[in-house]
Amino acid sequence: MRKTISLIILASLFAMSYRVSAQDNLSPQRKQAIDSLALEKVRDLSKYISLIGDKKTPWSDAQRVIERATELFMENSEIGVSSLGKQDVNYYKVREYFDRLMQLNYDKVTIDWYKIQYVSDLVRQPDGTYVGVITIYQRFQAYDKEKGLIYEDTTKKDITVYVKRKETQIGGRLIGFWDVMLGDIRVKETSK
Amino acid sequence: MSEIASKIRSIRWQRMMFILLMALMVAGADSCKSTGKLSKKERKAQIEQAKKDLQPIISGTTTLSYDEQKRVVGQIMDKNLNDPVLNEMIIQAQQKLKTLLAEQTQANAQKVDVAKAALYDLLLNKDNKSADELEKELNAIKKQNLKDPELDELIARLEKKIQDMRSGTSNLPVKAQLENAFTTIVNAAKTGNLTQADNTIGKTLQFFSSDDAPVLIIISREGSAVDYDKPTTIKRYLNLLKDTKASKNDIDAIMTDSSGKIKELDLIKK
Repeated sequence: MRKTISLIILASLFAMSYRVSAQDNLSPQRKQAIDSLALEKVRDLSKYISLIGDKKTPWSDAQRVIERATELFMENSEIGVSSLGKQDVNYYKVREYFDRLMQLNYDKVTIDWYKIQYVSDLVRQPDGTYVGVITIYQRFQAYDKEKGLIYEDTTKKDITVYVKRKETQIGGRLIGFWDVMLGDIRVKETSK
Repeated sequence: MSEIASKIRSIRWQRMMFILLMALMVAGADSCKSTGKLSKKERKAQIEQAKKDLQPIISGTTTLSYDEQKRVVGQIMDKNLNDPVLNEMIIQAQQKLKTLLAEQTQANAQKVDVAKAALYDLLLNKDNKSADELEKELNAIKKQNLKDPELDELIARLEKKIQDMRSGTSNLPVKAQLENAFTTIVNAAKTGNLTQADNTIGKTLQFFSSDDAPVLIIISREGSAVDYDKPTTIKRYLNLLKDTKASKNDIDAIMTDSSGKIKELDLIKK
């Protein structure tokens, strides 16, 4: 009896370790797919930020986009805000950052993200989460109706990304998906 | 009175007797047939023939159709040969026919199910088949001559669709309509025409069983290992197209409910 129980435990441990190791040993193609997925989420965020800042975006659309953008982040994540005149960087909770961005006191705001790339590749952590850092350059331009362009800067920012394998049931099917969550966005440097 | 007597005398009695005799002979022959009286030799021969006819039906080696087998058994029963062995064989043959009918009914039901599934696929036309290709597949289904009211209704719908396609009045296949909608939303958003984007989103949602119909996006497929993006809903996905002004996925599969509405959409990275 004791022998049987030991065998069952051993078999279960083997099955579990096999399953974990199957996720550990991602083929280059699958790893590439996850890398691209995380980059895509950051690109989506760049579009959302651009829309939230755009004064032409209808209020209802802006609210919806803020919801979608907030969902991209892990809870309690912060976004850094810098400007050319100030040394300090202010950090705001994601939701507060988006609300402030929507209410910026300019007649026109354009925000573009470019050079979106990995500065630190996604690496598997002991708990199975892949963590990496993506860097972006943000071009911010603010306009006044009469004076035209009144402020602009370029900020380099680092975004921590977390990618974790999860499972869910949809239509009776077990779906294995990769959940990409963004962490803090930290300001690295700001220039004209 | 004398008139009646003279008329009776005028009848040709010889002729009358001949007609009466002939009538009796015909009646006698008929009654002989109906009693089915056979000579012992004839009866034995008929029993042997009946056994010979029943044997392949009982053993299942006959090449006759179900209806033909039923007719053979019926004819043997009608002869009422009343032989104990033959009677036993008739019972066995009837049981065999019963089993055969049940099997045929089951096989027919399966064929009907397969045909229905094929017709639903053809109606959706996910593979963008031409009217001729659809007709070819429809004819193959019709050739099976399956009896089912729902099947008849689906056949009629497909016939109308083919007719509409030929006359140029048909709607595009659902897949093509969805792809067009995705492109329209993206292009409208790019040109800042948010009203058109929103209208197209509204119209596209009508294809779906609900705004929350799941949308799965395959990011990698390697053998049996399929990796998905986080599942979303159709409404969120259409708004994503509008917000990001880009359509980065192809349609991989469309799942519909019984009313033909899309209940799940599978996409795959381009």
